[in-house]
Formats: sequence, C-alpha cells, structure tokens
Amino acid sequence: MRFMVIRMADEETEAGVLPSTELIEAMGRYNEELVKAGVMVAGEGLLPSSRGALLHFDGAGKTTVTDGPFAEAKELVAGFSLLEADSLEDVIEIVRRWPVEDGHGNAEIEIRQVHDAEAFGDALTDENRPYTMGIKYD
Amino acid sequence: MRFMVMIKSDERTEDGVMPTEEELNAMGRYNEELVKAGVLLAGEGLHPSSKGARVKFTDGKPTVIDGPFAEAKELIAGFWLIDVKSKEEAVEWMKRIPCTDGAEVNVEIRQVFEADDFGEAYTPEQRERDEQLRLAAKKD
Repeated sequence: MRFMVIRMADEETEAGVLPSTELIEAMGRYNEELVKAGVMVAGEGLLPSSRGALLHFDGAGKTTVTDGPFAEAKELVAGFSLLEADSLEDVIEIVRRWPVEDGHGNAEIEIRQVHDAEAFGDALTDENRPYTMGIKYD
Repeated sequence: MRFMVMIKSDERTEDGVMPTEEELNAMGRYNEELVKAGVLLAGEGLHPSSKGARVKFTDGKPTVIDGPFAEAKELIAGFWLIDVKSKEEAVEWMKRIPCTDGAEVNVEIRQVFEADDFGEAYTPEQRERDEQLRLAAKKD
C-alpha cells in the first residue's frame, strides 16, 4: 500500500521562512532511514501559497483563477512524501519519529492512503489504465 | 520549474465515490496529452480521509488523530506533479482538467522547491547526500 504523508503548512512556511541547516540535516537523516528501509518513494517541498494559484471550475463551464496567497495556513500543504508500507499503523509509527526540529516541535502531519488499481474496480479498463495508473515518478 | 497541482476534496470524494469509466477515460485522455507534451511527472489519487490519520506534534510530543477530518474542501483528493516554464503555463494546462459531471471543482497550484531555492543553509554536502537519496528512492 502507498501513503501520502503531508506536512501541513504553518505561519513560517507560508511566510517563506527557509529551513535551517540543522533542520535540513535532520530531515536528511530521517529520509535516509526511510530510503534504507525501502519505504520512501518520493518527497517534495512546496513554496508558500503566495507563489501559487487557485482554479475554480463552477460546473457550468466557467473557470476562475485566483492568485495566492490563500487564507488558513494550517489547512495548506507545505510538503509531502510518498511511502510504501504494509498498513496505516506502520506509517503512523514512522511519522511519530518525524524530526522534532521541524516546526519547532509543533509540526502537523496528515497521512492519506493512495489509490491503487483495485480501488477503481471495473471503471479501470485497458484503455484508460495507461494514463490513469501509470504515472509514478519515472 | 515544477508545480504540484492538487485537486481538492468534496463530499463525493470524502464519501468514497469513485470515478465512473467515462470520467476515468476523460482523465486518461487529458493525462495522455500532458505526458506527450513532456509536462506530467507523476499523479496520484487519494482515498477519503476516513482511511487516514493526522499526527500532531505539540512541543515535540505526537498525538494521533484518526480520520475523517472536517472541512472536505480543505482536503486533497489527488494531485499531479508537472514540469512547465511558468506559473502561467501551469494555469493554462490546468484550465483544461476535464470536469465532466457538472460539479464544482477546486484546484490548487503550488510551486515545488528546487535545491537552489533553499539558499546557503543547504550545504553542498547535504545537497549531494539528498541527491543520492533521491536516486536510491526511485530505484525499486
């Protein structure tokens, strides 16, 4: 099973405060453990929402574009990892060891299961499978 | 530059309603265009937050909260990782996401950090270590 581990944003990430060398090295050690355990698939960090945009499709053919920043820092995403693990419980144990240097010990992490082919059932066909299930960091 | 494009949850995705074959076909055709243009790097869909959890640290102490989480529209239902020349190009591509069922859809576009964005705190030694990790993680 694959899981997306989402580091939620906070005021510092939204203000564009860059990680210290100490934090970068702590995350590096943590990620190294996950790679060596064969758990880590990928990981990325995101720039503040001020560099982003929102698209709203109204369902009737009209699309509205709004430039960032967006309100509610703690509901935004600051970064993510993709992990391969046997269960949600295993991922929770991994995330419990998240570096305390991050967010000055106050980081919030969301864990979400990623769809595999089985989740789509009969709607997944030989025709649509290559471009719905086959795009995975390669 | 790379962008992460997140499709936001709604009541349907949080209820675990899966796309129909028609919707998957439309999304597949859209993704195929992105792949052929060399834009798409990765893409994933997520199960409802009821199958997830949050780990909240307070002064270094973790507390685990089981899903589901309130406020469906603040959650993520899936994402694309794309490589384009500008935010404007990302917006133009994403305006064409197939929205076939007449429902409202919200999409958030966010720029992804590259090594150069971290400034001096990112030492050459750490950068090299992380690059090796990235290569090791991709090998499966």
